[in-house]
Amino acid sequence: MSDEPRKPSEENQPSEPRNPSPQRTQDPGGQGAEAIARTAMNPSPGPAGPAATKQPPEKTPEGAEKSVGASGASDVKTGTAGAAAQSAKPAAKPAAKKAPPPPDPRAVAAKEKADEIKAVLIAKLGASAVVETGAAHFTPMLLIDRGKWSDAVTALRDDPAWDLNYLECMAGTDYPEYIEVVVYLQSTELGHFVCMKTRTPRDGAKVPSLAPIYPVANWEEREIFDLLGVTFTGHPDMRRIMMWEEFEGHPLRKDYSVWD
Amino acid sequence: MTWTWSNVWHWAAHPLSWPGFVGMLVGAVLVLLLALLVVMYSIYWQRKFIGWIQWRIGPNRVGPWGLFQTVADVLKLLIKEDVIPTGVDRTLFLIAPIFAFVPAFLVLSIIPFSAHHVFTANLGIGVLFYVAVSAITIHGVMLGGWSSNNKWGLIGGMRSAAQMLSYEVPLGMSIVGVVLMAGTLNLNDIVAAQAHTLWYVIPQIVGFVVFIIAGTAEMNRTPFDLPEAESELVAGYHVEYSGFRFAFFMLTEYVYLLAMGGLMATLFLGGWTGPFLPGWLWFAIKVFAFITFQFWLQATMPRMRQDQLMSFSWKVLLPLAMANLVITAVVKALV
Amino acid sequence: MALTDETDVVRTEEMLLNVGPQHPSTHGVFRMVVKISGETILEAEPVIGYLHRGTEKLAENLQYTQIIPYTDRLDYVSAMLNNYSLVHTVEEALGIAIPDRAEYIRVITMELNRLASHLIFFGTYLLDLGAMTPFLYAFEEREKIIDMFNELCGARITFNYMRIGGVKYDTPPGWLEQVDAFVKRMKGEMVKYRNLVTGNEIFLARVRGVGKYTTEQALGHGMSGINLRCTGYNWDLRKKKPYSIYDRFDWEVPLGKNGDCWDRYILHMEEMEQSLRIVEQALQQIQPGPVLAKVPKLIRVPAGEYYSGIEGTRGELGFYIVSDGKDKPYRLKIRRPSFENLQILPIILKGVPVGDMVAILGSIDPVLGEVGA
Repeated sequence: MSDEPRKPSEENQPSEPRNPSPQRTQDPGGQGAEAIARTAMNPSPGPAGPAATKQPPEKTPEGAEKSVGASGASDVKTGTAGAAAQSAKPAAKPAAKKAPPPPDPRAVAAKEKADEIKAVLIAKLGASAVVETGAAHFTPMLLIDRGKWSDAVTALRDDPAWDLNYLECMAGTDYPEYIEVVVYLQSTELGHFVCMKTRTPRDGAKVPSLAPIYPVANWEEREIFDLLGVTFTGHPDMRRIMMWEEFEGHPLRKDYSVWD
Repeated sequence: MTWTWSNVWHWAAHPLSWPGFVGMLVGAVLVLLLALLVVMYSIYWQRKFIGWIQWRIGPNRVGPWGLFQTVADVLKLLIKEDVIPTGVDRTLFLIAPIFAFVPAFLVLSIIPFSAHHVFTANLGIGVLFYVAVSAITIHGVMLGGWSSNNKWGLIGGMRSAAQMLSYEVPLGMSIVGVVLMAGTLNLNDIVAAQAHTLWYVIPQIVGFVVFIIAGTAEMNRTPFDLPEAESELVAGYHVEYSGFRFAFFMLTEYVYLLAMGGLMATLFLGGWTGPFLPGWLWFAIKVFAFITFQFWLQATMPRMRQDQLMSFSWKVLLPLAMANLVITAVVKALV
Repeated sequence: MALTDETDVVRTEEMLLNVGPQHPSTHGVFRMVVKISGETILEAEPVIGYLHRGTEKLAENLQYTQIIPYTDRLDYVSAMLNNYSLVHTVEEALGIAIPDRAEYIRVITMELNRLASHLIFFGTYLLDLGAMTPFLYAFEEREKIIDMFNELCGARITFNYMRIGGVKYDTPPGWLEQVDAFVKRMKGEMVKYRNLVTGNEIFLARVRGVGKYTTEQALGHGMSGINLRCTGYNWDLRKKKPYSIYDRFDWEVPLGKNGDCWDRYILHMEEMEQSLRIVEQALQQIQPGPVLAKVPKLIRVPAGEYYSGIEGTRGELGFYIVSDGKDKPYRLKIRRPSFENLQILPIILKGVPVGDMVAILGSIDPVLGEVGA
């Protein structure tokens, strides 16, 4: 049995090599230890607990801007929230025995790619369009300003150099301070794989809709609207999809309680 | 003419008398029982035969080899509550199954089961009678679908009406070829005409094929089972029926299977004629072959689509039947 | 009597038809509100959510290993792939190296499960089109696969077999030989299916040119798997983003041409053959060894976001995990292929006859457990 007979020969292979590199294999231990330390530190585990430690108290854009530099310096492997947490951690945790593990080269590459995309977007939509870049695991990640959300996605889809023609995954996440909408975009021709996200305040959450750009976003956004309560402006058919029309509340929000 | 024992069963040849009338009634009941028996065991055979085709065993629990399975099923249907949903057109809903079943039973009266014409009306317009009376069933099916106040039922009923009407035409045309050859509409005479020559299946092979196809469609059987297409229409026209009224629709379907088999045997395969064996057995064998063929189709074919079905009838079958008719007429005129 | 204007005599009316949620050919509790005029569909609106069980919410309160049985219930006819997709994402996040034997067992079970799922497609699709027998033939073979899985992990449908770092049990003695015998037998069965069904004239008339869409439409609607490849677009994650050990096998991605029901049907059949090919090679290559990597008892995924998709039976099956470094995900989102695939229905159902509705819906091959999540 051998690996040789057939190597994948597709040119447009996305940037994930298969075999974990040696430094990669040792890093979960470090991460795990940190995580344990962090949980131990956190006196009130609960829905709001983890994110409270993670999020610095600043308002989102400035906080995120700050964390870019910090994350670039320390650890870019983790995503936005993770990056923020990492940046806050070394200061808050003098008891940490180990230095943070060296950044994974693949994560660094992803961050570089994200910066590349950022340059493209800034050239097209102005400097305010991209709030932050980073890496979601090994995927280039861009945090887009909410107002420029659909413009940025459209720009990247229509840009022949990026050609992100396929929306692979769309998700919403409820953080204590904001709700994040994430899309994973794929260029099926060029092999780019990009994670883009935007944030909206939890009250009166509103995000421009991607449904006119990607028809697939239609149901995905309806699902996010249903379960997380984000209204997508410009969506052709904003109704509940999973729950029934009379249902109250948005079950995937962290403060949702069945007993209300 | 005085009454004798011998003309109890020969009412057709004698003026009506009380004993003759009683004989008629008894005859009708006997034919009904025969039909029910055949229906029950053709359902049993259907389940067994399709079961074998599909690597299953089929019914084997009630009675030896499951022989009483259908009896049990019929019993179940008979003792079930007769549900009449609110919102149905009550009168039509109640009479629709009767409308469907009575013609199915009526047409049996002209099918010559055996050489002795017992229970068979020696009707001069036999073939015409069959085609005319069996058309009444369409009303029953359509009314059943319509009165159910159910959209599936309505679609099923309408499909059924369209389909049966469309296939009635090629069916009739294919029969006319045989009628031309035999020179009579009387089924007894048609059998007699075949007795000493070839069975009409050979000279009328095109007509035979058209007859089989159109007959299958006429009975709403696979691959033309659109009116009750389970995967599309849930159950079609009888979706709201339950218990005994549902059984009536089922009965209609299988009695027609018998009748159509009988008609096919009579028209194309020489009816009860055949060497060595008694006439009724030959007839039974031919009908059984037809019924088995239908079940075989059912286990093999997917279903056609409504528009394909219609265009197939009008664009393929009808021209074919017409051509057959013209050729038969020309050959008959020349010979 | 002369008919001056037909509308005076015949009044036609559109009818609103509720197909489902309880309907024999919606493959579960799926509902379509269909506006028909006669036999033609004017508008179709899919309504889903009847099987929404809140898996994503439930997962937020479960440890990673505890989520695995919940994934069984998503696409309940190919649970192995669901299991794998979750553990694969977690393994990617942790960067665990999986023992070789475990990878082989995974590939064998996944491809067998794909085969079983396609067999269900084959059976139910023909059942939708009115042919009853292929269903029973297909289930005969599926039953064999399921029996083998039963022997492997003690469950017939909801396997809960994969673990983070490998698989739960090694194969019982003689199991691989059993699979080998099955593969040989199945090859003969495939020929039989082709002879029985694939050339049937009525079947061809029902599926050729029905339910067509283009590559652009498919990509825009996020379709994946066979539903995308039927348009002739080469997009199979096993090749495009190789995971597990699929690059060690010699196999091809079958492609369609027209994007109609026929292409989708024949791709299912061809994929079954490719799955057999992969299983056959895996059986030759598999070596003894451990089946579970050394993983901590309590799995904590490092804080961050992870997404990884695999080529599920129905398309790209992905898990998006947001972790805050705890033993439970902060947010788990499942990219369910059927959910995306169904969205094209209103477009391709417009203007088709009612009879084609089931043909098209069946060819999309949704599993409602996955749609509702």
